[in-house]
Amino acid sequence: MAAQDEQRREDGRAADDGAAVRFVDVHKSFGRNHILRGLDLAIPDGRISMILGPSGTGKSVCIKHMVGLLYPDRGDVLVHGRSVPAMRDDELFEMRKKFGVLFQDGALFGSMDLYDNVAFPLRQHTDKGEDEIEDIVMRRLREVGLEGSRDKMPNELSGGMRKRAGFARALVLDPDIVLFDEPDSGLDPVRTALLCELIEEVHAENGGAYVVITHDIMSARRIAEYIAVLWRGKIVESGPAAELFDSGNEFVRQFLAGASSGPLGME
Amino acid sequence: MGPGRLSTPRAWIASFGEITAFSARVMGEVVGLGVFRFFGEALRQAGILILSSTLVIWGLIFIIGLQCGIEGAYFNRAAGTPAYAGVFTAWCDLRELVPYAFGYMMAAKVGTGIVAEIGSMRISDEIDALEVMGISSMTFLCATRLLAAWLVLPFMYLAGIGAGFFASYLAVVQQIGEVSSGGFLQVFWMFQNPPDLLFSVIKAMAMATAIVLVGCYYGYTAGGGPVGVGTATAKSMVVNIVLVHLIGMLGTQVFWGANPRAPIGG
Repeated sequence: MAAQDEQRREDGRAADDGAAVRFVDVHKSFGRNHILRGLDLAIPDGRISMILGPSGTGKSVCIKHMVGLLYPDRGDVLVHGRSVPAMRDDELFEMRKKFGVLFQDGALFGSMDLYDNVAFPLRQHTDKGEDEIEDIVMRRLREVGLEGSRDKMPNELSGGMRKRAGFARALVLDPDIVLFDEPDSGLDPVRTALLCELIEEVHAENGGAYVVITHDIMSARRIAEYIAVLWRGKIVESGPAAELFDSGNEFVRQFLAGASSGPLGME
Repeated sequence: MGPGRLSTPRAWIASFGEITAFSARVMGEVVGLGVFRFFGEALRQAGILILSSTLVIWGLIFIIGLQCGIEGAYFNRAAGTPAYAGVFTAWCDLRELVPYAFGYMMAAKVGTGIVAEIGSMRISDEIDALEVMGISSMTFLCATRLLAAWLVLPFMYLAGIGAGFFASYLAVVQQIGEVSSGGFLQVFWMFQNPPDLLFSVIKAMAMATAIVLVGCYYGYTAGGGPVGVGTATAKSMVVNIVLVHLIGMLGTQVFWGANPRAPIGG
């Protein structure tokens, strides 16, 4: 096992080519369900990337591999060239500080109000005083348009507000990589568009690698700079967004056009 | 015996092994002082424990104390020795029923509460959110609750014993009234001493530790949406009630089995 981890570290150094996250032949099964079947993907640094694909193809499983919540059965996941499965627990917790994650429903802590939710990572990971924390938290809350809701509890917020609050919390430590797990789920088209605008604005201001998992094509057209299309546990095609929208691949064309005829059916 | 019949006991053994391994990790975080990174959270949990569970635990122990007193008074009347009601109540309270009442209410109020709270956090991705923030969720959620229990419960239990004793006194002396206050108390105190109190506290704390750990395990490993959390809560209650009785029985056997510690004869 130690030799395998050492090999992973060596491979990781060799593969450190500027990709923020790299999947190398990743396989993952849950019981008899083979979710990832040899996934190869490089998420570029400094851009908004989208992983698109039909429901149940393993998009959320990808995110969980990036932050070490799941480990591949085979293959490797590299974050800035370092193998995630080879990390010790303390290295993993340290590496996770590079990430901000927006979960589907925001995953706000139900026992804390909005302000404390956003302040939580700062209180846990920095030595900043309460005044400085308040400055940062309020700036992030203003950014997402929630400065007037600081004292509300998560159950008093709408779905869209919870997502924006989760976004503020994800940004509060100025992460290098921000992951969005279906940020558009449960939102109406207008709020989805507004959230996409917000993601774009915040990325323009802060930089870093943003990875958005979605199956919403409109969101992809609005903000994606790089797109990877996932189907049946593999990347069908990946590249700059403009290239993908002109793809000759039958599945990619069907999916990005939202057409009913093509290789993707109801099964 | 076919493999189908063996699958249930195998699953029980597997669950027992998983709970033991989980408990060892959580206790390791407390004993190894790793939990003190989140001491503020442990204090918050201690506050919640005090505010939400103290009165209901003392209340049940008070009722059990009344029962011990009533039963002791009637039994000793039947035996023609009403003045010795204190023997029955001393043992009934301190050695058996106060620890059980404490265990029952801990399992019903605290244990199930822990499963529901941590289980809800699991299904709403809050535990994953903690992990991706670089925070050990097991330490933050489970070890802090165990430390809070260890900080608060010995004192809560000692006060609970007082409530049980007071209730027994009320039942024997004030309600049934076949023995004087001084006569009851002389016998009552004669049949217990500080080591008995220590053994009783050990029994109750073993129960409390098991209940908190089982609650944390079932909450932390909950899955399958709200129904899964409900199922985990029910399972934890079953396991905890069994454990409370096992610990009660073993405690009695170990502490008073070989030596009943009674001032009778040689």
